[in-house]
Parts: sequence; C-alpha cells; structure tokens
Amino acid sequence: MLRLHGIIGRADDKAYARQLHTLKHHGGIELLFVPPADAGRKRFRLTTDRGTDCAVSLDRDEELVDGALLYLEPERAIIARFGEQQVWRLRARDAASALKLGWHAGNLHWRVRFEGDHLVVLLDAPVDNYRARIRPLIESGEVVERRDV
Amino acid sequence: MSRLALTRTDAPMIAARVGIGGPVGSGKTALVERLIPALQARGIDIAVITNDLVTAEDAERVRRSGLIDPERVSAVEAGACPHTVIREDPTLNIEAADELERRFPGVELILLESGGDNLASTFSRDLTDFWMFVIDVAGGDDIPRKRGPGVIRADLLVINKVDLAPHVGVDLARMQREAAEVRGGRSVLLTNCRRGEGIDAIVDLLEREVLFRT
Repeated sequence: MLRLHGIIGRADDKAYARQLHTLKHHGGIELLFVPPADAGRKRFRLTTDRGTDCAVSLDRDEELVDGALLYLEPERAIIARFGEQQVWRLRARDAASALKLGWHAGNLHWRVRFEGDHLVVLLDAPVDNYRARIRPLIESGEVVERRDV
Repeated sequence: MSRLALTRTDAPMIAARVGIGGPVGSGKTALVERLIPALQARGIDIAVITNDLVTAEDAERVRRSGLIDPERVSAVEAGACPHTVIREDPTLNIEAADELERRFPGVELILLESGGDNLASTFSRDLTDFWMFVIDVAGGDDIPRKRGPGVIRADLLVINKVDLAPHVGVDLARMQREAAEVRGGRSVLLTNCRRGEGIDAIVDLLEREVLFRT
C-alpha cells in the first residue's frame, strides 16, 4: 500500500512539465482512475493502471480534480484521472414543461448543470434508471432527450 | 518540495468520518454500540455524532452506555427530515465533527449516525469519507429489490437482525444475493447486533478502506 496525502499540483502545471515528460518516456507515469461518483471523496483506496495499491486522503478543504498530481518522485508519478462522466441532456418543450422537469430533477436529487436551454444530468447510474423516473414527461413530448449522449 | 514528503507513508492522518444511515428501527444505534468497543479493542481513537429529529435521545443512550467518554459523543438535532443534515446541508454535522477533532486531536475515526430515514437517504461526500446503510430482515426481504439510493449507493450495506430471519419468513440467502446483485457486487455484510455477530467484519473493512491500516 502506498499512502498518499494531499494534492501536489496539476499534471498540466508548467512546474512539473519537464519531469513528467521525462517520466512519460520512461514509462514512469501511473494513472489512478477515479469513478465520477467517487470524485468528491476525501479518502479512498484504489489501484493504479500499473497495479499500485494507493490509499489516498485529502485535507477537508482540498478537492480532487481530473489530472491531480498525487505522487512525484524521480522514478514515478501518480496522476488522478476521472472516469468519463456520463451525462444525459434534456430539453423541455415549453416553460410549463421546464417547471415540471426542474421539479422532478430537484425532488430526485439529481446532479445537474445547465447548458443554454438544456438540463444536463450527471449520471451516477445507468440512464434507464433516470429515464424511468420521468417517462411520462418524455412520452408526452414535454421533455425531449438529446440523442448524442 | 515539502509536499513531496507528504506523499510517503508518513503522511498525516486526518480523522476519518464514517456515516451510518438507514430506516427507523433497523439497528443503527445498536450497531454504533457494538462498533465502539470493537474499534477501541483495536486501538482506534474514536468519537461519535448522533442525529435525531428534535431530541438528543440517541446521543444520551450512547453517553449512558459506559462504552465511551460521554464528552466524545455529540448530538445534532436535524429539526427536519434527517437526510437534510447529512446530504443537502451537512453544515451542522461538519461543524460537530470539526469540533470533536479540535477537542480530541488524536481522534482517528468519527462515527456519524443519521436519524432514521427512508430508503432514499444518502450521505454527502462533503461530510463522510465512507458510509454504510443499515437495513434489517424484519423490514422485509424485498428491501434490496426496491433499489433505494441508500441501498444502492452506500459503500457498505449492512443487513441486521439476521437471527430473526426464520421468525419473519425471510429467505436470508436470497436477500443477501439480491442485495449483492443490485449493488453490483459491492460489500454486503450480515450482522446480529444484539449478539455482536458480524461486527468484526465491519471493523476489518473500515481498517482497510478508511483507516488504511491493512
């Protein structure tokens, strides 16, 4: 087990560019893939793509970000990578439908963000689980799914 | 370069925060009462926060238990649905945990017991590093199949009161299998808190996944 505490910086920081570039050429970069649902954790145990068992803790005021540099030494670096966040884009037909959609999203505690006139749901489970919750709105045409997700 | 030293095994440990949620009567407080001595027996420095609706009933129960210094038990009164203070706005619980860490600098693990709630109850990652959801066989063996967020998303699902299974017509093996299926194979452990059965397995898991001792 490799104990890691805190974030050193970001892998794209200029300060680390040369060292990480050299490590990359020598196969010294390990990636620690963090599932999106676990991105908010302050403490977790995961295994890198090279098989290193990492026990990671962060200070309460630290936020794990994609590309966080967690470990850096002359022979090896470990970088956190978020698994790709799956999203579901929805658009309401009119204002009344938007109110209904917003009510459901809030009531169901969905994690969302807004992209123009689209509601983007950040998925923590298969999209069918989410679709089932608002199926009447979709079937009535009040809410339309964007098909490119 | 000072941060580089923190990436080694001498990294400081902040107190881990472990949530315990679940329906009313499933055995959350009983689990806390079993975990306290089990954790202490392994030399783990602990403190406890309990959540109640408008009283400090559970906190008083734990304080009077004689299992732990009463000063190490804090009470949070939600004043509303229990999930509001563990998920939507966990500020009260975060402050209570911060206060326990200030008063007891060596504390390694803080147990946060939620008030009894429903199957949709979940903990915010801002509050807890790991959380478990406690259900019991007497609540019905269909609970896992209902796929409540608490059952699905918890880091650990605890099925308590397993000794009652034959008395309430529950096929425990099937309940455990269905729980594992809906959770995608993530941890499901069985307990009988009245007799202390299954507690060591939970402590083993906490030592590995949260305290990084093994």
